[in-house]
Amino acid sequence: MAPRRWLPGPVGWRRLAQWGFFVLFLVLFVKTDYSGVDELHGAVNLLFRIDPLLALTAMLAAKTVVVLMLPALATVALTLVFGRAFCGWACPLGALIDASRMLFGRPGGDPETRGRWIKYALLLFLLVGALFGLPLAGYVDPFSILVRALALAVHPALDHALTTLFTWTYQHAPTWVNQFTEPVYALLRAHVLPFSAKVYALSVPSLVLLLAVLGLSRVRSRFFCRILCPLGGLLALGSRRPLVRLVGGDDDCGTCRLCRTICRTGAIDQERHIDPAECVLCLDCVQKCPRDRIHFARASAAPAAPPINLGRRTVLASLAAGALAPLALPARPHARHPEPYLVRPPGALAEPDFLGQCVRCGECMKVCIGNALHASGLEAGLEGLFTPRLIGRIGYCEYNCTLCGQVCPTGAIRRLGRDEKHATVIGRAHFDRNRCLPYASGIDCIVCEEHCPTPDKAIKFRETEVVNSRGERVSVRQPYVVDSLCIGCGICENKCPLEGAAAVLVTAAGESRHAGRRGWGGY
Amino acid sequence: MHRRQFLRDVLLWSAGATLALPRFTIRTEALAAEKPPPLVSVARGADYPALVTQVLEPLGSMAAFVRPGDRVVVKPNIGWDRSPEQGANTHPQVVRAVVEAALAAGAARVLVFDRTCNEPRRCYASSGIEAAVQAIGDRRAVIEHADPRKFVPVEISRGQALTRWDIHREALDCDCYINLPVAKHHGLSGLTLGLKNAMGAIGGNRGTLHHDLGQSLADLATVLQPKLTLIDATRILLRNGPQGGDVADVRRLDTLVASADPVAADAWATTLFDLRPETIASTVAAHRMGLGEMDLARMRVVGG
Repeated sequence: MAPRRWLPGPVGWRRLAQWGFFVLFLVLFVKTDYSGVDELHGAVNLLFRIDPLLALTAMLAAKTVVVLMLPALATVALTLVFGRAFCGWACPLGALIDASRMLFGRPGGDPETRGRWIKYALLLFLLVGALFGLPLAGYVDPFSILVRALALAVHPALDHALTTLFTWTYQHAPTWVNQFTEPVYALLRAHVLPFSAKVYALSVPSLVLLLAVLGLSRVRSRFFCRILCPLGGLLALGSRRPLVRLVGGDDDCGTCRLCRTICRTGAIDQERHIDPAECVLCLDCVQKCPRDRIHFARASAAPAAPPINLGRRTVLASLAAGALAPLALPARPHARHPEPYLVRPPGALAEPDFLGQCVRCGECMKVCIGNALHASGLEAGLEGLFTPRLIGRIGYCEYNCTLCGQVCPTGAIRRLGRDEKHATVIGRAHFDRNRCLPYASGIDCIVCEEHCPTPDKAIKFRETEVVNSRGERVSVRQPYVVDSLCIGCGICENKCPLEGAAAVLVTAAGESRHAGRRGWGGY
Repeated sequence: MHRRQFLRDVLLWSAGATLALPRFTIRTEALAAEKPPPLVSVARGADYPALVTQVLEPLGSMAAFVRPGDRVVVKPNIGWDRSPEQGANTHPQVVRAVVEAALAAGAARVLVFDRTCNEPRRCYASSGIEAAVQAIGDRRAVIEHADPRKFVPVEISRGQALTRWDIHREALDCDCYINLPVAKHHGLSGLTLGLKNAMGAIGGNRGTLHHDLGQSLADLATVLQPKLTLIDATRILLRNGPQGGDVADVRRLDTLVASADPVAADAWATTLFDLRPETIASTVAAHRMGLGEMDLARMRVVGG
């Protein structure tokens, strides 16, 4: 090996790929933002579109071919050739799990094989569930878990921490310090941090979910990948007979089972056979094998993958659970009376289709320049958790902006042109006259009217003579909504200067996506 | 209030009988009364860079306001995600010409900013102002977004509706603050002109100013004092202001109005909408506080 010393070893190459893909992923993540022009080029939705699990569940839910998700075929092709190389070389969550192993105190491998079947059972349950109307893939998909946590928690937290630091230097440090710190801050603002401070509903739960996935490595190395990850399960199914695979040692190795001990996914058995369905090609064994016995070979040269330890009962139970669980959904109140304040982003499909296509990745929330989109709690049911909704009091839908539809990986939020966006009703505003100042106290205000973005304003006002709180006769301008003009953007609710609740509120009433669906299940 | 009343007040005051009188109010009104009639310059033409030069000429050109080495702040209206044709923001060519004039007068730095109503990046891009300032290609011309850290609490000692508010630090302590609003319709205040443009230089929950808008703007004008007010009336928005959106609501006037007197500039610009200055509450309140002239008959108007 001496002449090749300047080249990285097998593990070095793999690490390089992991770092490379992770950095690429982060770049795409940060670029998932307004860039000065209406059209966004290059966003982290790319990652989701190469995810065959989400492609499958989205297509099963839609019962049609979702063209946006076809790039997932590339991952399938890669898997058919190299097995689960994607998990070991490209998956950003896998890279993060590997990188954080030291943090959770359990470097090294673990040959334990128990629990592997769970990912297959989960996969079956998710696929059948998606087909029958219970879309849950977004909660366990590795990319969804990762992007959601970064978008809703890590990125805003980083912004807050750095802004606090640079605010302190700006206000208290001497000028010569600021000559250094201010350009650094400007650079970070321009290229790394979100443009302005953001807040997100469910930011902590989404972070906890990611940390839990990383923390499971303490129990067993790559716990999530080998036991839970349904994408890993799907790729494992495609890796049973890869064209190229690793072939391990044999009886000549004597008592040495170093490969088995260090294998991070427990893919190597007592006989040193490497299970291609579990092996993520991390190449640790290749590099560490004292006798250089482990090498790549054509599939025919190696024994077949051991059978999946998945009993018929488990299969049936998974299928049945996926098919039967959706039956409980129509029994819930919101099947008849949907949450009125659940305002979906412009271009969102009709609710059942939307829930089926949405992968809960949080990209729309990340890209939303008004910080209007937030993760739902239980407003849309348990399966609506982490789906986007507009919270007008926190942010509003920017009239000319169409970014959420551009980044949505599956088209759960349709891509809208600017004119189409202007005509898309996501809800309607109404006034709470008990709080609205011109009505309640006879005080002028109409900030809502000022900000109403439709060229023919949906909020208009009447000049009215009223008796104000002090008992004086005064003339004030009282606002009102013209329903046929209001598109529900929520800027009125957002800019209403009252403290606490706004006096003008947006509900989902009149939304375009359900225009033709009156009389159907409450919609 | 007039000079006679002021003298009476001073007599009372000097007699020590009325120490509780709001003396700031009296003094500023008196000062206004003693000022010579303000000069309002008006220029019309389709070549906006030339128009800026033309409108500043009677006022002594930019050199009368910007001295070499000055730190200048130019505050256009970049409030809305609208294009120049829609007339909701100051025209980018006007902004560029004003910044260039300040640079030519020797400014050490010209900062352009606005605290927008729509998303800041969209406003800066759609208005064309960001590109216009960057196109100057001079390191001294800086356009930046309103940085939350730069808004500092200010005591407004003469304020009647506002006594304390967060105001942009550089707008306050620069050597020359140039107010560069666009003239347009506004639902609550009738029109938005120079005084209303101060809204973009302040922090906080600005909507609450609407509860007594005219007086609040006059109060702000006591601390945020432009050396020059240049009102862009190249396009004026007649309806559905202040953000418009329909070019049918825009009238092209190709007009600029400039004055060192912020109230006079507003008052004269009001006439472009066939309105009287008395109909704009901020003009009336600022005049009453002695911040400038609103009586059209007591102005020297050049080019009008």
